[in-house]
Amino acid sequence: MGTRVLIVDDHAGFRAHARRLLECEGYNVVGEAADCAEALEAAGQLSPDFALVDVYLPGEDGFALTNRLQALGAAPAVVLTSSRAESDLAECVEESSACGFVPKSALSRETIEEVLP
Amino acid sequence: MALAVLGFVAGLVPLVLALATEGGHQRELIAITGPVIGWAFIGTGVYAWARQPDNRLGALMTAVGFSSCLAGLRVSTEPWVFIVGLLFITSQWALLFHMLLAFPRGVVETGFERLLVAAMYFSSVVVHPVMTLFHDTTRQGFPENPLLIGDGTDLSDLTRVRFWFTLGLLVALTVILAQRWSAQRGAPRKALAPVFVSGGLVMALLGVWYAALLAGVGQDVIDGLEDARYVVLATVPFAFLAGLIRTRVAEASAVSQVVARLGDPALRRRGVCHAMDEALRGTSLEIAYRDEDGTYANCAGDRVDIPPADPRRDAVSLEAGGEPVAVLTHDATREDERELVRTVAAAATLALENERLADELRAKVEELSASRARIVESGDATRRRLERDLHDGAQQRLVSLALSLRILSNRLDGNTEAMRELESARTELDHAMDELRELARGIHPSLLSDRGLDAAVESLAHRAPLPVELELSPGDRLPERVESASYFVVSEALTNVAKYARATHASVNVTRDNGRVLVEVSDDGVGGADPGNGTGLRGLLDRVSSLGGSLEVDSRPGSGTTVRAEIPCE
Repeated sequence: MGTRVLIVDDHAGFRAHARRLLECEGYNVVGEAADCAEALEAAGQLSPDFALVDVYLPGEDGFALTNRLQALGAAPAVVLTSSRAESDLAECVEESSACGFVPKSALSRETIEEVLP
Repeated sequence: MALAVLGFVAGLVPLVLALATEGGHQRELIAITGPVIGWAFIGTGVYAWARQPDNRLGALMTAVGFSSCLAGLRVSTEPWVFIVGLLFITSQWALLFHMLLAFPRGVVETGFERLLVAAMYFSSVVVHPVMTLFHDTTRQGFPENPLLIGDGTDLSDLTRVRFWFTLGLLVALTVILAQRWSAQRGAPRKALAPVFVSGGLVMALLGVWYAALLAGVGQDVIDGLEDARYVVLATVPFAFLAGLIRTRVAEASAVSQVVARLGDPALRRRGVCHAMDEALRGTSLEIAYRDEDGTYANCAGDRVDIPPADPRRDAVSLEAGGEPVAVLTHDATREDERELVRTVAAAATLALENERLADELRAKVEELSASRARIVESGDATRRRLERDLHDGAQQRLVSLALSLRILSNRLDGNTEAMRELESARTELDHAMDELRELARGIHPSLLSDRGLDAAVESLAHRAPLPVELELSPGDRLPERVESASYFVVSEALTNVAKYARATHASVNVTRDNGRVLVEVSDDGVGGADPGNGTGLRGLLDRVSSLGGSLEVDSRPGSGTTVRAEIPCE
């Protein structure tokens, strides 16, 4: 089986498309979450290899979620994503403990593997 | 008129008597000063009395004149005539004492002052004549005293007591006059000056004379002091006239002071009250303000009956905007104040009306400012909602479309022509998404809401087509509208730099200082920007002013452009 992925985004439409794309490109999408609490619960239960996390989540944002995921026992790697300009977020991404950032529209196996360790 | 004729005759008496009497007591002094003092006091007194029948000063002055004429009888060598003059020699000083304390309204205001006046009359009009009964005048070479009823040599101690007592009263008078003088400023003080200086000097010379008698100094000095006192006394009526004229000037000046003080926005109605009271001091005019319950109160907050309980006082209502706001009460019997009342009432009404209009205007301006701020705020809210709608709607659909195209390209493995078409569609889609993102950012920078002013300004500098030097002073987040205004100042200014300035370099400076944000954007371009031309800068000006801030553009041709905004952030 392929790399286990958890998709975290409050837009159900994006989650569905991302799941189809990632599965099509050989990933094993083990779960989806719409907010921080759901993501933490799913990560604890499903032990994904990495989480694709939208920066703008309702309540706590993607950066906060990244920090909280890192505190888990078997912490998944975090790839941040957003439809906003990468240049606006570059600094925050760098300061966070996420592996990197992939724009939503450029999501693909290559771009993800580029940022994953 | 009869009084004036009588006064003229009375003034002639000491003159004729002095000229006719060889070797009379103080003959030269009485011959010269007697008629002058008598006529001057009686003349001005009768004039003042006629002009202000209610003001006791006129009567007092007339009394001083007659008293002085009677005192002049001491020049005679006829014992009975002489002794009448001697009996009256002190009464003029008591009357002058009374006059000085009553100036300029003719009323002795406080109980203590009334006590002083009574004491002075007692000393001069009761004690002195009684002691005269024991005064053997022949010892001093004067005509004999026909009233003598006993030897008064044992009474010399009593005489000294009277001198000390009178001296004390004169010192008290000097202190009171000095206090009154220092409490006044400007025109009212000028009005007091002639009377206080001449009258005060007479009283001071009288005091020194008593002191000299008590100290037992030489007769020459004592006579000199007495001569000087009479000479100065002759000037008092003229000083009084000057004082009256100056009081008129002071009244006119009071009117202009009332207007000036009512017009001073720093002084609201209650504050103005004290200022008006001061300006109207020396007149019978008093102002009382209407309270919300329809009653009236003076400056001290004491209730004032309107119409006045005193039948001699009248009230003039002062209105602003058709509503009574104050009344001016005054002594209706004072003919000379009619004009003053009319003028002050007109001036005060004008000033109060002016104040009401100013209040109304202030309220309107406040309302307008508030509504402008609301318009800007609601505009900002609309911008945020639009940006959010674009982000959640169109942008998300385009993202989904991009992902679908990617899935499709995975499935088209091998079909190169279809792959090329797909790639071209992807490129178009990327452009569309970039343009949409720029559009959204122009409507409202989400970065500003999410990460604050500094991050948003950094992003602006980063995307500008020329090098931008940044100087930011980091701090806590500012109120949303302040952040928005500051951001748009930088954004608009940098847009203008890129479009028109032909600059090679720009700098952005955002500092916080004492509850305000200072935003400055400057460039080294061609200058010559006109803030009145174009909607961009004008929109900024509206936005900044709606927050009570200011915006200035310095753009002389050839020396670059500096846009400077100052926005309060409380």
